[in-house]
Amino acid sequence: MTEKRSTADYLAAGSQLVVVRDKANATGADDVEIFVIVSADGRVTAFNGHVDLGTGIGTALGQIVAEELDVAFPRVTVVLGDTERTPNQGPTIASETIQVSAKPLARAAATARAVLLARAAERLDIAAGDLTVTDGVVTAGARTVTYGELIGQERIVLRIDMAAPLKPVSEYRVVGQKAARVDLPAKATGGLVYVHDVRVPDMLHGRVVRPPYAGVDVGDFVGTSLIDVDQSSIADLPGIVAVVVIGDFIGIVAEREEQAARAAERLRVTWKPIPHLRDLTDIPTALRENPSTPRELVHRGDVEVTRAGVAQPMDRTYVWPYHLHGSIGPSCSVADCQPDRLTLWSGTQNPHMLRADLAKLMAMPEARIEIIRLQAAGCYGRNCADDVGGDAALLSRAVGRPVRVQLTREQETAWEPKGTAQLMEVRGGLDATGDVASYDFSVRYPSNGAPLLASLLTGVVPPVPMVFTMGDRTAIPPYSYGALRATAHDMAPIVRASWLRGVSSMPNSFAHESWIDEAAAAAGVDPIAYRLRYLEDPRAVDLVRAMADRVDWVPHTAPGTLGGEGDILRGRGFAYAVYVHGQFPGVPAAWSAWVADVEVNTATGDVALTKITVGQDSGLMINPAGVQHQIHGNVIQSISRVLKEEVTFNQIAVETKEWGGYPMITFPEIPPIDVLMMDKPEEPPLGVGESASVPSAAAIANAIYDATGVRFRELPFTPERVLAGLQAAGVAQAKPPAALAAPAKPAKPRGFWAGLGIGLAGLVGIGTLALPIRSAIAPISGIDPTLYSASTIAKGKTLAALGDCAVCHTAEGGQPMAGGLGLETPFGTVFSTNLTPDVKTGIGAWSFDAFRRAMREGIGRDGRHLYPVFPYDHFTKTTDADLEAIYAYLMAQTPVGSATSANKLAFPMNMRPLMAGWNALYLKTGAFQPDTARSEIWNRGAYLVEGLGHCSSCHTPRNALGAELASQRYAGGVAEGWEAPALSTLSRAPIPWSEGELFTYLRTGFSPLHGPAAGPMAPVIHELQALPDEDLRAMAHYLASDLPPVTPEAEKAAIATADARNATALLPSAGPGGRIFQGACAVCHAPTAPPLFGVKPNLAFNSNLHSDRPDNLIRTILRGVPKPAIADLGSMPAFGPVLSDSQIADLVRFLRRQYAPGRPEWADLDKTISRLRETSTHISQ
Amino acid sequence: MRPVTLCVNGSEQVLVLADDTPLLFILRNDFGLNGPKYGCGLGECGACTVLVDGVAARACCLPVGLVEGREITTLEGLGTAENPHPVQAAFIAEEGAQCGYCLNGMIMTVAALLARDSQPSDNAITEALRYNLCRCGAHVEILRAAKRAVQMTAQR
Repeated sequence: MTEKRSTADYLAAGSQLVVVRDKANATGADDVEIFVIVSADGRVTAFNGHVDLGTGIGTALGQIVAEELDVAFPRVTVVLGDTERTPNQGPTIASETIQVSAKPLARAAATARAVLLARAAERLDIAAGDLTVTDGVVTAGARTVTYGELIGQERIVLRIDMAAPLKPVSEYRVVGQKAARVDLPAKATGGLVYVHDVRVPDMLHGRVVRPPYAGVDVGDFVGTSLIDVDQSSIADLPGIVAVVVIGDFIGIVAEREEQAARAAERLRVTWKPIPHLRDLTDIPTALRENPSTPRELVHRGDVEVTRAGVAQPMDRTYVWPYHLHGSIGPSCSVADCQPDRLTLWSGTQNPHMLRADLAKLMAMPEARIEIIRLQAAGCYGRNCADDVGGDAALLSRAVGRPVRVQLTREQETAWEPKGTAQLMEVRGGLDATGDVASYDFSVRYPSNGAPLLASLLTGVVPPVPMVFTMGDRTAIPPYSYGALRATAHDMAPIVRASWLRGVSSMPNSFAHESWIDEAAAAAGVDPIAYRLRYLEDPRAVDLVRAMADRVDWVPHTAPGTLGGEGDILRGRGFAYAVYVHGQFPGVPAAWSAWVADVEVNTATGDVALTKITVGQDSGLMINPAGVQHQIHGNVIQSISRVLKEEVTFNQIAVETKEWGGYPMITFPEIPPIDVLMMDKPEEPPLGVGESASVPSAAAIANAIYDATGVRFRELPFTPERVLAGLQAAGVAQAKPPAALAAPAKPAKPRGFWAGLGIGLAGLVGIGTLALPIRSAIAPISGIDPTLYSASTIAKGKTLAALGDCAVCHTAEGGQPMAGGLGLETPFGTVFSTNLTPDVKTGIGAWSFDAFRRAMREGIGRDGRHLYPVFPYDHFTKTTDADLEAIYAYLMAQTPVGSATSANKLAFPMNMRPLMAGWNALYLKTGAFQPDTARSEIWNRGAYLVEGLGHCSSCHTPRNALGAELASQRYAGGVAEGWEAPALSTLSRAPIPWSEGELFTYLRTGFSPLHGPAAGPMAPVIHELQALPDEDLRAMAHYLASDLPPVTPEAEKAAIATADARNATALLPSAGPGGRIFQGACAVCHAPTAPPLFGVKPNLAFNSNLHSDRPDNLIRTILRGVPKPAIADLGSMPAFGPVLSDSQIADLVRFLRRQYAPGRPEWADLDKTISRLRETSTHISQ
Repeated sequence: MRPVTLCVNGSEQVLVLADDTPLLFILRNDFGLNGPKYGCGLGECGACTVLVDGVAARACCLPVGLVEGREITTLEGLGTAENPHPVQAAFIAEEGAQCGYCLNGMIMTVAALLARDSQPSDNAITEALRYNLCRCGAHVEILRAAKRAVQMTAQR
């Protein structure tokens, strides 16, 4: 069947019965919305304007249609949420699909059934009431007729009869039974399901570059902060089709996705300074100061009067943080914008609303915009699914071709309209008998509908504060308190915020259900009994009693009845709520109640959930399996929100950008969940998408109180917050601050050139006294490479690898050995030279004598001094035979014409003759002389290590003139800003290096007891792969010869310590840095994590964590390990772009304490991080 | 840019690429596969999981140059809707997903687990999935599916 794309396509087909409804502003008889089509071939198609948000709503709607039509469920196909095909039923929010929008669908199916039965009655000449229908086959005694036969070739169009009789529940055969989810086979096997999977011909890839005010959409700087986009910064990148700039909107279109992604990372953009946000570390103050308008929702009795006279005043404040929707898949959209139409493939939750937004953005009539809705990652409210549609439309318009835009994780996280922070305040109290005398509730909910981002960034929609009155959901408590007032202080958002599951009701219920628990305790009454005093709704009472039975609730009037042992206290908390949704006063969705069982660790503050029992009265359940699935989902997501989640902000924007900084619940933390579903098939079906979230926070807070006697009124209940609360209440003893060792004062980096400045004056003196300027060696016109045997050339190739020639003499992306790599020094940049045999620009004119002189003495063919960044002080030790092999290899390469750039050195370093003085002081020329007292393997190792291998160039500190300090050989040095760790007894490695581990490291780039090669060591190891095992063994033997032997006992003890450190690193009480480690790092660094491609470096063994300086650790976090020494090691992504300086500082502090517990804290972390963020490690990286 | 030979689900293709291109983009855009999903680009969530020489790998931050010449298996390489792999069949039967965006990672991670341990304990399953995130809260059904996959594998 060819796919029908529009209502008109469907209407045009024959052999079918169609049930329609006139559109709201219908312009003619065909201006209709289709609800159900029964085809003569037996298939049924149902249409609903809502979308499947991954809740299996398509399955439940299909069940309803199958039931009312009396066809088998598999015959029904449900079409959801396309603007061209489905009715406009508003946004898919508030769990309304089943409760509200399914109603006309059921009537449409019933309309069709009634008409078909009337036809059958006529054909079979029998009263319609005497017919039975099974799977579309109408039966009267022995005679049958099918729906298909009744339709035949006709095209029947019916209007929905909203009075068409629905089946009584007692006759249900499909509804109320478990139906298998229809969407899962495709999802489990890689079918085309999601908007992310859409590919259309001629499609390009787009990325956006967002402004620095991430997640803020109000203020006159929004849309007006761009100063400059420097397109030259990406001019060298391939595949770029367009850079689109409109106001503060910037997008890049490229042929390939990775090209667009790379360009978006690299594009240099200048922005104006951004004004500071309100301080969101103090939510109560920020929300109280945000302009608002009070709106009284209810006032019974006179709360002012009664409050004045209460016996026990109980004024309380409850605080809810900002939460993420946290869709697992960042939003994506494909747009095809042509002059006369726009087609958008979208994962939107609100297709018709998005179409109106796009019409405004694109200045295009709605009728010319088609939105094709596909599934997206679960959304739970309003994420960036609409925003990315606007982005894609603008980019497609600019290039005239279809463009797919994928937001990055950072963009989705930072810019998604947040689930807002919320402030709930109660002024209330109890009378002398312990009854609630007065309850005056107010709520502040700074959130709205989050206008389309592209419209704000381009200035199409002004960034003015807009108020949505949605803070009122369940703002009225479900209890019949004597004097009651509820007020919503309606306000615009502070940061971009919009509806998230349990919209305002979940925080409001946190306050109501915590407060009544506090009141019960104050009154000395059991918390459930106390609620039942004020609960009048009979279904609510039923549910609460059923829950008490389910958990064998033991009435109690004080905390602590469940006891505990050691540091553990047990508690049980109850909460009940009904989610009231829609425009105030709204309609109730399913009733829900929770019992949470917790264990609170008073030493760490950790709250472990040991069991959640959740009860729900959903009325009739269309698909009970689906309802249970929804309840599980709500329980798990809400405990994650309550215990762990909180968006953080810096001075101008959202700080949270990835999962390490926003930990969500993980599998090991999932408690057993017992679901009690009330059996109410005779009651109308209710929305089940959100209700079970609503009582969560209060149930857990009440359980913590029951365990500890301490009240927590602000989320999330992190171990730090709980511990601080317990300590303040005297339940837990505040620990004396650990006697920390003094912060380490790092030694000044003594890099190759670092100290050179100090000695310059002296060097000038020596230089003038030293040898005269050297003579040139006559050029040759090139050599015949066949002069050398293949084995000599091969040997030369291996030796060149040992000397790392190609590491320095190859530019990023350039031809090997053709030079041009800029080596940054404190005095400027030295560019490596061309080592290919090109006569003009390389070493083609160099005779072997010229080459040998360069290697031995650091003098170029033309007699000029070379800079000792070229390690000729080591290469000089190489034998003539080996030098000749290297020469043979270099001259046998293909010549590459590539002139060396002029060095950019300041005076006096630009004066090469000064190097004569340096040579006079530090250069000892001549080939290596074996030590006859040592073994052959030692001597071989020494020759390789001290000569071409030049290991000590980096691993030995240097003096003020940049020469290696003979007295501190292998005591550790600096290479390209990285610390080259000590290889001597001064090594900080927790397990000292052994010959075996050194060999493993040199051979594989990784030692399980030390770690992988990274930074400048990675390319060194890569080159060493050319060497045979026996040479690497000799090097390891030589390097280990001065080290003390590692005893098996010592190694075993170190491994045991490391295991213990690793185990505690995964505890919830690891603190903010620990949580970043758990979310971002542990997947590859925890020894208990499942195997992943690449190695699993154990941080307990990593000497960088034990060093005096944090530089290597910070550099690795910032830039990752994009190019490992060997592919088998795997790579590490860069976290610099996604973690803030303060998040990295938290992480580094945690890693130091956790894995190097005996070592002092590093000082000045913040400064070091920001310095290293600014420095490029290597000009090629 | 250089020619890179990739072997995906048993078929080989030579593509001219930059070595540092994330494998995920190649699988989705050049091989036209839907299974591996972009979730975070940092290896944190697991939605992009594939198998490389039978071991799980996070394709979103795996430079393609590192997997040249290795056997890459995606969700599509396990089985089809008509003839699913036991792990896929178990996830369909137990409805081990809500929105299903994380499902690829869950199935591939369990498949990798069963490849190295055909009878993992419940605790081993939970630990194997610790670093796969699900926002819908389908954890209960996912764990049930994983346990069913263990049974189905044992019966094979």
